[in-house]
Amino acid sequence: MMESTKLRVDHLTAYYGSNPAISDITIGFPERAVSAIIGPSGCGKSTFIRCLNRLHETLPRTRVEGTVLLDGEDIYEQDPVRVRRRVGMVFQRPNPFITMSIYNNVSAALRFNERHSRSEIDQAVVRSLQQAALWDEVKDRIDAPAVSLSGGQQQRLCIARALAAQPEVLLMDEPCSALDPVATAKIEELIARLKKEFTMVIVTHNMQQAARVADYTAFLYLGKLIEFGPTEELFERPKDRLTEAYITGRFG
Amino acid sequence: MSEDPLASTGKPLGYDLQIRHLKDRAGKMGEWALGMVHDGWRAFDSGDLVAAQAVLDRDTELDRFDEDMEHATIAFLVLRQPAAVDLRTAAALLKTTTHMDRIGRLGFDMARLANPVKDRESAELNRLLQQMDDVVESMVRQALEALVHDRVDLAQELFSRDDTVDRMHRQANRLVIAELATDPAVVQRLASELLIARHFERIADNACKIGEKTIYAVTGQRRSEYLPRHPVKPYALETPRGP
Repeated sequence: MMESTKLRVDHLTAYYGSNPAISDITIGFPERAVSAIIGPSGCGKSTFIRCLNRLHETLPRTRVEGTVLLDGEDIYEQDPVRVRRRVGMVFQRPNPFITMSIYNNVSAALRFNERHSRSEIDQAVVRSLQQAALWDEVKDRIDAPAVSLSGGQQQRLCIARALAAQPEVLLMDEPCSALDPVATAKIEELIARLKKEFTMVIVTHNMQQAARVADYTAFLYLGKLIEFGPTEELFERPKDRLTEAYITGRFG
Repeated sequence: MSEDPLASTGKPLGYDLQIRHLKDRAGKMGEWALGMVHDGWRAFDSGDLVAAQAVLDRDTELDRFDEDMEHATIAFLVLRQPAAVDLRTAAALLKTTTHMDRIGRLGFDMARLANPVKDRESAELNRLLQQMDDVVESMVRQALEALVHDRVDLAQELFSRDDTVDRMHRQANRLVIAELATDPAVVQRLASELLIARHFERIADNACKIGEKTIYAVTGQRRSEYLPRHPVKPYALETPRGP
């Protein structure tokens, strides 16, 4: 039985110019669960999740049709900055603010957007770094430059930065594709832990990763949602022959 | 990428060949097990101890088949990380080889019962056991054909054939009991024949399990989804009574 739906997408179509990159996608992401989006390169995975926090529209000549409901309210009728605070995002390559320290990276959102006391910000930094499983590794060098961290640590720093804004949904766009297996394992462990508090949607081209971390998996092909269901079902006995062909590597 | 991704296969050739190879090896293991049943029954029926020993000696090779299949299937799972039909096939092969091992072992057990010193034989019971052998061997052959060639239709037929074997098994039990009542002197032979009938019944069950795994591999359906279990009563409550 599915959990309650946190994020509901209805008939979503996203365009670059006049070309739809994804078309007529309807899907509901369960609350406090990990949902993975898989599909071949160019199928619209990244475009799709960029529509879930209104990042798609920041590119020139783009347009979105349909609705994305967060707790029943259309995010396209809300302030995009507020939407992005509620729906955080982590990208493919770690992208810390390179001129800033570890502390300043995590506290950036709080310092720029909110009126918080220094001690509140300190607490939020510690909490976020702990949530991102980075605190123990950086607590003695919190003012060191973010770029002094390894790639895997930088990615967890970006997760901590996203968590500092206390989002409800966390989007991840291939968060491990630039990481080695050890760093990948740490992020996957972290994803498993974070889903107790957050609703997570992760784009991955790595099917084994989807199988390992996701409770639900969606398969996208040529901008269309082909199949969405419990991960175990989708990988063991997919309903659609396109899904079957893709996950077994029998794709032309 | 083409518009119809299923029109051509971009899958590496080695992948399909590996699955084919696994299935062929499973088929060979099944043939080996079936040979042990075939010869085990004949050794028992004729009381030929040389033939019986030859069957017993084939058990080592059966174990080797089992280990090889397990090793090759696990290597396939680890190295290829298959999904969907390929994952189900690998899982089914792991299970079916266990059933093949059991089938071979039941042939082994029949050979062990071979005894050249025969009590007076019952033609009716002997005929029934011979019929059981015919049906059961043909079921195992059918199960192997289904497994190796993804024949769901052949796998499905096995379940009704199993009912036939169950009926024959009960009939054999009744004949043994009836004969025992009239001629207790032949108890040794009857005890063996009771076991032989039971072994045939178990072989048929294992053939059905191979059929179930074949259906799972090809369609993803589990037994409970297409063949609901019937409630089973103690023998004493059944009509006619007795196993």
